[in-house]
Amino acid sequence: MQILGFYITGYQIAFIAVAGITVLSAIGVVLMPNILRAALCLGLMLFGVAGIYALMNAPFLAAVQVMIYVGAITTMIILAIFLSHRVMKIGFSQAIYNPLLAAAAAGVMFLFLLVTVANSVWVREITAGGPARTNVGVDAVATALLQPYVFPFELASVVLLAVLIGAVVIAKEDTADA
Amino acid sequence: MHSVGYGIPISWILTLGAMLFCIGLFGMMVRRSAIGMLLSIELMLNAANINLVAFGSYLKLPTIAGQVFTIFVITLAAAEAAIGLAIVINIYRNEQHIDADKISAMKM
Repeated sequence: MQILGFYITGYQIAFIAVAGITVLSAIGVVLMPNILRAALCLGLMLFGVAGIYALMNAPFLAAVQVMIYVGAITTMIILAIFLSHRVMKIGFSQAIYNPLLAAAAAGVMFLFLLVTVANSVWVREITAGGPARTNVGVDAVATALLQPYVFPFELASVVLLAVLIGAVVIAKEDTADA
Repeated sequence: MHSVGYGIPISWILTLGAMLFCIGLFGMMVRRSAIGMLLSIELMLNAANINLVAFGSYLKLPTIAGQVFTIFVITLAAAEAAIGLAIVINIYRNEQHIDADKISAMKM
């Protein structure tokens, strides 16, 4: 497709659309005074990242992102907000602290990263046109998880068990010595 | 038509990752409530994940390692969110607020 003299593929249009949604909702996450709306923006932003994964030839990861991030983590955050906030009372100036200085610092960081991205040479190792089409289905991920990465895989399950117990212990109400 | 790829240059994806990371950095600095800071951490983790997957699948010999590392990061992010929110709820129960500037229980 030809737009303003540039040749644009459908994948590029899809990427720009999904990236736009992602960045806009990310800005919503940090600037919404109402923390509940910020958490809902986070859900939208995580959906956008799942779309980016799908465009990068990582369909299994897109599914994992939707199930764990959008399904579980966002729900958990919203429940924690219900338990700990007086949601509707907070205004912008109470929720946001010294935005100009922070925007300057983050902007400098962004410029630094942008210059690094623009000046690096990706030619030798990186395919120019986009992700190479190889087998990246569930079977490839499973083979990688259970053969070369089996030790971190098992370690992750131990960590999750520790977190399960730890979260219950921390969040439990102290009735014994209250 | 394109047998190799989708026509999305890797610099676009890295720029998107940089934008998300810096937005998360900004949120980390400006948010007063601890849950707002946790949301910003999730933004920064996702920016790092995007870069991992991009490098993994744009290599000339593509590797699945980028996706596997991202799965580990997602696992640990879920763990971090669970513990972080448990701590936040505990602090709220003791102090009736979660303003990160005013939490002083561990100050000397």
